[in-house]
Amino acid sequence: MAEVYLIGQIIGASEFPDKTLFCKWGISFGNNWKLISGKKEGQTQVDSPVYDKLTVWSHPIDVHFATRGVQGWPKLYLQVYHYDKFGRGEIYGYGFINIPMSPGTHSIDCHTWRPLGGMHDEFTRQFLGGGPQLKSPDLVYTGLDRYRLHTEAMGCVHIELSVILRNFDKYGIEA
Amino acid sequence: MVESVKNNGFLVSVMGEIEKAYIQDIDNIYVKYCFVYGKDWDVTSGIEEGITQISKHTSGCPQFVWNFPIEIVFKSNNPHGWPQLILCVYGLDGFGNDVIRGYGLCHLPISSGSATKQVRLFVPQSSSSVQKFTSWLTGHRPEYIDPKILTVGDGREVTRTRSEGIVFVKFNILTKDFFTHGFDNNARVKRINVDV
Repeated sequence: MAEVYLIGQIIGASEFPDKTLFCKWGISFGNNWKLISGKKEGQTQVDSPVYDKLTVWSHPIDVHFATRGVQGWPKLYLQVYHYDKFGRGEIYGYGFINIPMSPGTHSIDCHTWRPLGGMHDEFTRQFLGGGPQLKSPDLVYTGLDRYRLHTEAMGCVHIELSVILRNFDKYGIEA
Repeated sequence: MVESVKNNGFLVSVMGEIEKAYIQDIDNIYVKYCFVYGKDWDVTSGIEEGITQISKHTSGCPQFVWNFPIEIVFKSNNPHGWPQLILCVYGLDGFGNDVIRGYGLCHLPISSGSATKQVRLFVPQSSSSVQKFTSWLTGHRPEYIDPKILTVGDGREVTRTRSEGIVFVKFNILTKDFFTHGFDNNARVKRINVDV
């Protein structure tokens, strides 16, 4: 079987309406893929920058996959939450990235969005926080069922990811 | 011959430098650094941890220069658990006590060549206002008992941090026998491009 190593960091986020943020992340992959070692999901700390525009997470990623086919190449999906002064978490953005197929080091920006509610929802959100969330986070990395969903642009998550491939050339795959 | 190479694993040789930092609101700082790596990894030569000199910032600009050399060689047969560099930045307060000013971490580059990494710093915050007050009173700030847990990424959801400052680290990486094990980190392509 061919093997893929992903090594990198969720560096942080910028351009969100507020800077006190944390992030839940996970990696989704197809049936042909097997996770050999490493963690496929996690949650960062809550960080608030003092001067800088960038919220820092420096969250390490180190996973090892074995695969029997390139279908279902892993995707990294993110949910960014805002941590308000009452200690509540409210959704600030969803996003996913395709993990690069070429070996080497990649720095990737993931632009995120959040679902928009009706006028009533947005009005209460303005004063009470919260806001509509996705029922199933699968929607973040699938293209199904997004029809007629209204969204708003949020900030950007910065990711640095190194990809090491093993034995792909044995199977004739030119990465 | 090839068989013996396979059993020995590959080598990653690192020559680098903890170059400089930009941190506001502080006068004297130094860095404790260490490398953390997976269980399939070993250090064949070099030093795993060290402490830099105490640097004072340039006048009128929050820049600190250490120009501190790093030299280490790793050996492994499995890229999982790729070494990470942890930086713990300490400053001196008015009484000469060491106060934590920031933690930072990064993976070593995976392919040969030179690279500069910008490592962002953050410090844990007190979880309650009572602790905040006592830490202000005593001058003891919350810190990680073992900063190596940062490399795992687990258990972070319970912590709150404040981020400030940035450290520049330069790396020169050389790998040996990486390709003979079937690994591909794109360095070969780069080399061909340079030759052309």
